[in-house]
Amino acid sequence: MRVLIANRGEIAVRIIRACREMGLSTVAVYSDCDRDARHVRDADIAVHIGANDARSSYLDIAAILGAARAANADAVHPGYGFLAENAAFAKACDAAGVTFIGPSADAIALMGSKTAARSAAKTAGVPVVPGTEAPLPASAEAGEVARAADTVGFPLMVKAVAGGGGKGMRVVESASGLLTAVQTAQSEAGSAFGDTAVYLERRLTRPRHIEIQLLGDHHGTIVPFVERECSIQRRHQKVVEESPSLAVTQQLRERMAAAAAAVAKSVGYTNAGTIEFLLDEDGSFYFLEMNTRLQVEHPVTEMVTDVDLVQWQIRIAHGERLDLDPVRALTPNGHAIECRIYAEDPDQGFMPSPGLIRGLRAAAGPGVRDDGGVAAGYTVPVFYDSMIAKLIAWAPARTEAVARMARALAEYQVLGIRTTIPFFLWLLQQPDYLDGRYDTTYLDRVLAERRGESFSSFSADEVETIAIAAALDTVLRASAGEADGRSAPSWSGWTQLARIEALRG
Amino acid sequence: MTFEVDVAGRTFTVAVERTDGPGRFRVTLDGVLRLVDVSRTGDFGLSLLETRGTVPLAEPDTGTVAASAVPLASRDVQVVPGGDGGEVLVGLRGRTIGVTVNGRRSAHAEGALHGHGEVTIVAPMPGRVVRVLVATGDEVDVRQPVVVVEAMKMENELRAPRAGHVKEIAVAPGTSVEAGRVLAVIE
Repeated sequence: MRVLIANRGEIAVRIIRACREMGLSTVAVYSDCDRDARHVRDADIAVHIGANDARSSYLDIAAILGAARAANADAVHPGYGFLAENAAFAKACDAAGVTFIGPSADAIALMGSKTAARSAAKTAGVPVVPGTEAPLPASAEAGEVARAADTVGFPLMVKAVAGGGGKGMRVVESASGLLTAVQTAQSEAGSAFGDTAVYLERRLTRPRHIEIQLLGDHHGTIVPFVERECSIQRRHQKVVEESPSLAVTQQLRERMAAAAAAVAKSVGYTNAGTIEFLLDEDGSFYFLEMNTRLQVEHPVTEMVTDVDLVQWQIRIAHGERLDLDPVRALTPNGHAIECRIYAEDPDQGFMPSPGLIRGLRAAAGPGVRDDGGVAAGYTVPVFYDSMIAKLIAWAPARTEAVARMARALAEYQVLGIRTTIPFFLWLLQQPDYLDGRYDTTYLDRVLAERRGESFSSFSADEVETIAIAAALDTVLRASAGEADGRSAPSWSGWTQLARIEALRG
Repeated sequence: MTFEVDVAGRTFTVAVERTDGPGRFRVTLDGVLRLVDVSRTGDFGLSLLETRGTVPLAEPDTGTVAASAVPLASRDVQVVPGGDGGEVLVGLRGRTIGVTVNGRRSAHAEGALHGHGEVTIVAPMPGRVVRVLVATGDEVDVRQPVVVVEAMKMENELRAPRAGHVKEIAVAPGTSVEAGRVLAVIE
């Protein structure tokens, strides 16, 4: 059997690994700038599908199905992002006789609408965050919007019906900012999702984001897993996830898992999916949305349950029965943390830092998992998401997992571009993080308080080492030049430095 | 030879002198001597074994690192050429810092940080201007967000490299920009 991976980066590499372990042949697809990408090098077969702009490659359904046909692929795994939650793509795969490794097109379409998903949750008896039942009409006048807002109450969130990833989302504190927020969210939703519809939802002040991973087979079995804690978010985007959550007791875990399974069952869900909840300070939880795909943070669940979710996605897609022990799936073995390593400069407001990776040494050792997507010599392009790797640390208890993560982050070397590694090293020292005292507003709050000071802080001793290393590097580069016979024999003074400068170009 | 090294807001005077043996140096940092055994690891790595801190200085009179059995502090450092102005990026245990050797920071970067005259804010990558947060004539603080550009699926705040007046805003919301396009001028 042969699986085409309709994605790139670390998730394509992750899926190739699962396929290889199962003895399946793999097909990578790539755009112009991804010719040298790791997923292309790792796959058995590679097919060029188009230009750098994702719309001409990774989002081009015809190009991907053309590649599947040309490479004789039997199945397509969409990964996350790109076409993963595109019902038309799932349908097109079915029509082309290729197995789509994911839920049905109908389930994707239904849960892709946030308002429809909220109704489904309510029907299944699961509480939802109070909000408007239906999308606001695009033509809604000020009075109509204000009346809808009054029924929801302030503060509230304006959210895109087709939303995801923090796009088309606005917080409104009081009536005065309402109309502007609705209009901005509508335009953002329009450009991001091609659908301007928005709805209103009450904003819990200090919620935690807790989610339940589940698998469903084609024989009616649904297995929910230990929760993931995803409250460490920057601008509504998760950056650190862990499992289990310090805020969830075994009893609460079982209630949330049962609620998640009920929602999935009510829509006949199959394959991997995740129900996201907000957990309020008083212990009540609310359905937020369902992600009808594999998630970025799936490894933390794998680490504490010893289940390979990607392999199960493939097995389920081929009709196998889920034979996992449901009790075991809800019993965390140890603690796992994931840091999403981005090509971003945390000292410049997390500005993307694309470019050539001159050197790469991933972390390894006990309890460490590197889900990397790049290699030395690869140029991180400007066209796609800038995540280059996920680093996961597992240990029997959370304190040890944090220490292990800090150890692994300090080992991880990415040369030539800036990454978010220094930011994670800083976060892992914050007392509130160490004690698990955080909610979804925590990170933006503490980042705002920092006023731009560098995340890379060094002791006086380390600063001296750095000064010495920089000087010795200059000397060694100069003498390496001499050895190559490219320069004057002696290394004294400024002419030498000018030459070194020129060599560096 | 002697270097002036700027790191973390401090300038160190680092005198480097080869001794016997490959990779062996006498290094004097701000007048304090230490012996360093340096070895290249790959294109950008340096392994330093140093006499320092609680580690006793080995045979300072002869400038020789004792052959064996002397405990030396081990530091694994990466030194990578930086993008602009001769700055190098030095990595140590997961953190990174920009370092300049002998003041080889470019005139542009120097002016941007400390000087007077105009500095420009340019798009670091192709994208689309989402918002312009200041107007011509406004006073801005160092690091104040000036323009928001959407690129790589994220909204990125481009900040003023130093305090000053906004002389010109060269783009409007919705403008598509190439890398290097001037977005604003601060004077």
